[in-house]
Amino acid sequence: MRRRDFLTTTAAAAAATGATTLLGGCGSGSGGDSGPLDYLSLAWQKESIEVNKALVAEWNKANPRSAQVRYVQGSWDNVHDQLLTSFEGGAAPDVIHDEANDLTDFAHGGYLADLRGLLPASLKKQIPDASWDMASFAGGVYGVPFLQEPRVLIANRELLEKSGARTPTAQHPWSWAEFEDVARELTRGRTYGVAWSMKEPVNQSVNLALTTGGAVFHREGGKNVIRFDRADSHVVELIHRQVHKDRTAARSALGMAGSDTLPGFFAGRYAIVPLNFSFRQQVEQQAPDGFEWVTLPMPAGSGAPGGGQLQGVSPQTLSISQDTKRKKTAMAFIAFMTRPRHMARLAEGDWLVPTGRDALREPALNTAEHGWSTGLRIASDLRASPVLGVRGYPEWKDKVATPALQEYYGGSISLSALRDKLVEDGNRILARYQR
Amino acid sequence: MNRTRGALARTGQYLALVCYLVFLAFPLFWLLSTALKSPQELGSVDPSWLPRHPSLDSFSAAFEQQPLARSALNSLIVAGCAAAVSVAVAVPAAYAMVRYRSPVSKAATGWILVSQMFPFVLVIIPLFMVLKGFHLINSLTGLVLVYVVWNLPFALWMLQGYVRAVPASLEEAAAIDGCGRFRTLVSVVFPLLTPGLVATVMFSFVTAWNEFFFALVLLKSPEKQTMSVILTHFIGAEGAADLGPLAAAAVMATLPSLLFFALLQRRLVSGIMSGAVKG
Amino acid sequence: MSTTAPATAKPPHRGTPPPRSPAARKQALGLDRDAWFLLLPALLPILLLSAGPLLYGVSLAFTDAQSGRTEVTKFIGADNLVDLRFDSLFWSSFKIGLVWAVCVTALQFVLALGLAVLLNQNLRFRWLARTLALVPWAMPEVVIGIMWRLVYHQDAGILNATLSDLHLISENVDWLAGVSLALPAVIVVGVWAGMPQTTVMLLAGLQNVPHELHEAAAIDGAGVWRRFTKVTWPALKPVVLSITALNFIWNFNSFGLVYVLTGGGPGGATRLPMLFAYEEAFRYGQFGYAAAMGLVMVAVIAVLLTIFLRNRLKGDDR
Repeated sequence: MRRRDFLTTTAAAAAATGATTLLGGCGSGSGGDSGPLDYLSLAWQKESIEVNKALVAEWNKANPRSAQVRYVQGSWDNVHDQLLTSFEGGAAPDVIHDEANDLTDFAHGGYLADLRGLLPASLKKQIPDASWDMASFAGGVYGVPFLQEPRVLIANRELLEKSGARTPTAQHPWSWAEFEDVARELTRGRTYGVAWSMKEPVNQSVNLALTTGGAVFHREGGKNVIRFDRADSHVVELIHRQVHKDRTAARSALGMAGSDTLPGFFAGRYAIVPLNFSFRQQVEQQAPDGFEWVTLPMPAGSGAPGGGQLQGVSPQTLSISQDTKRKKTAMAFIAFMTRPRHMARLAEGDWLVPTGRDALREPALNTAEHGWSTGLRIASDLRASPVLGVRGYPEWKDKVATPALQEYYGGSISLSALRDKLVEDGNRILARYQR
Repeated sequence: MNRTRGALARTGQYLALVCYLVFLAFPLFWLLSTALKSPQELGSVDPSWLPRHPSLDSFSAAFEQQPLARSALNSLIVAGCAAAVSVAVAVPAAYAMVRYRSPVSKAATGWILVSQMFPFVLVIIPLFMVLKGFHLINSLTGLVLVYVVWNLPFALWMLQGYVRAVPASLEEAAAIDGCGRFRTLVSVVFPLLTPGLVATVMFSFVTAWNEFFFALVLLKSPEKQTMSVILTHFIGAEGAADLGPLAAAAVMATLPSLLFFALLQRRLVSGIMSGAVKG
Repeated sequence: MSTTAPATAKPPHRGTPPPRSPAARKQALGLDRDAWFLLLPALLPILLLSAGPLLYGVSLAFTDAQSGRTEVTKFIGADNLVDLRFDSLFWSSFKIGLVWAVCVTALQFVLALGLAVLLNQNLRFRWLARTLALVPWAMPEVVIGIMWRLVYHQDAGILNATLSDLHLISENVDWLAGVSLALPAVIVVGVWAGMPQTTVMLLAGLQNVPHELHEAAAIDGAGVWRRFTKVTWPALKPVVLSITALNFIWNFNSFGLVYVLTGGGPGGATRLPMLFAYEEAFRYGQFGYAAAMGLVMVAVIAVLLTIFLRNRLKGDDR
């Protein structure tokens, strides 16, 4: 593979830069052994940026000049494009903060370093196997999963208490059937029981299939195939039922992104909003004075593994660029960033759940306030999203699944039509990537 | 009767203009109002045009979180240089392309259109590699160069339109008066092009000021990044945005261009008068 | 404003090259030394930084180039184009793209022409009006997208709030998520965002219309409309052609705004072809296939543009 890499790169470079070779062809890669390592961070919340910068400063103070790290701010909005361009152009950052889902193609393309030989034992032990699964594909480990984000229910406490429904806990969540009943109880006048924000319907639909023992993406004979059977489609059907039959879910929310549902939630128009864990920060910041809210676990399926509480996640990761010459230093920096104390601070800053065993026990996170304890309790139920490591998933998502699910939730196609599209069109796409 | 008709027409004109301005400028107002609102008010279902409890918190947060001033300076340098160089290079070329019938002019014209048509995503990677070959990654000079090339097709194409509108007879007259080629260009043609030149400068400046993708992939050091890149740092995963500070930063990013417009728009007035009388 | 007028002004025409000195100059490709001197500063950077990368991009269309360095790129002839013929998703997005580009360009032009004519009048506070009219232009694209999403927001959007205050709607409208409304809604944003540059170009063009011709026509008793068609329009036409052609290309190629607004949804109703090509290249890493899409789009636009420009040019000669 090494030699082939070299050949391809040379061929591509020769073809690409006819102009360069003509003019200034002598220029080779910049960076190399000198200068600081670039750490591309996607920290977004104010607190998290501060923690990141503080940790980088601490690292730089404790380490010699040859191991200095430069903090480079990136953005979730465009990280994929930025990375692809700089990988292809041969000038990528050395340490890369990204999301496991986004690593698949980069790992297959040979741009990320396999971390197996580099990981210190302590770090390996710190993070449970279920989390390492999330960054393992193509026979290697391509990132250190350090933060993860389950989906939770954020509910209007006043409406919930008025309805008389049982308040679920991480040990004893609602069943999906119970959830449907509660939604019915909560739907009164202008208030809908729940608002499913489905601007991006695919990840949620697939990840929640785990609660009912489904996966949508299955391994068969060493290949990825898509199935959409009862267990896979249970939650999807339930959402459809809530919107169109029970009318306990707001139809208009289907076109919204998560944060779009918040104004309606604060105004009492939606009693429950299923959102990612970090949205608590926005809720906390924007909620009108006196508004009370609670964080609840997602409903559980019956008769499914893990008590029906498993859900798929795609964790945030730290990876190393294959082109970096100082991989050991980069790994040492990653290990520093993911020490239990530091991981907990990063998690707190971004309102996320850490993956590390000790980080989960940090006192700063173990508070009932803002639903932190709910998130930490369900950490053990989080599994690798079935879509991780599946080549062709992005194409399936954009071309097939997003429009099909939007049409199904919107009521313009039937379940069997949805199944046909997802499975048949989908497997055709996956087949192209697995020749 | 004629007078009342005139007055009526005037009123109609003002009315139409106000409608246009409301449509075009209300978002600036909306942006300002968003920047002055508290997070609670932004999460309200009952939006109001004016903030109920205006505060400058979002502005201070924006300046605290990201190096806005530094990035504004970078943007200004890059956009200013890009505009100046594009126009300086484009004006003579556009003139030559119009006044000479030659295969080169034709090929250039064709090129202009094709280069604007081809998906830029496919050009970015090879361009990136060329710039890397010249060691122009992570440098403002490299970015200026990219913007100049990016603006040139447009500048050439538009300026050709303006050159064509300049009566060639004026040049002939000047030549008969004994002006040399370049004298004629500088003292007769260019003044006539002033409105078109100003329009092109404005265009090049704003395109460079707002451009985002090249700046994102070419500039790595935080202290070199331009304003449009900094703006996206207020946007999180799944399109969630820190609205208050984002709006505040966006206001800061919008104002310099507007100020630039306000100064330049006077120059949009015809050069025919000044040029022809002097010439 | 201008009352003096050049004595020689007449409707512009493509000029002959300025007279040359009697000594025959050396010519290369129909250009003498002066002309090369004028052209080269623009041509050099274009050849280097635009033509090179672009030709490389075009050549990808005939290969199976993918992102990553583990696969060897092979020449595959016209296979990508053949595949593309049967890609019904691409062609339906192509249709959406044409509707989008034609609507946005046409509306932009009509509205901008009206505005340019108004701004060319000697009105009070003209400087303020001119500056305010350029607001959309001064805003970065990401901001425009996010801001209009706030305007269109179903529960907390200012548009729904204002419309229901005026009793024009009884229930909040779902602007960006309804299959029938999404495309018109993004077209409005497209027109809004592109109006200023069109206006400025046309305004600059209007300045080149010789004033005394207007006055002469007015004295002859020509009405406003006649003066516009007989005097203004002919002088404005080169600029109109240029800006309309460019606008069409840009609009067909733009997707950033729509990407922020709807991401191509709902159900693919706003999936512009360039968004399609962008995703093919940058999301799925299929550089070769995306380049083939680009090539097809260039070909189609080129044909449309030739028809558009040729008809106009013929009209010019008459």
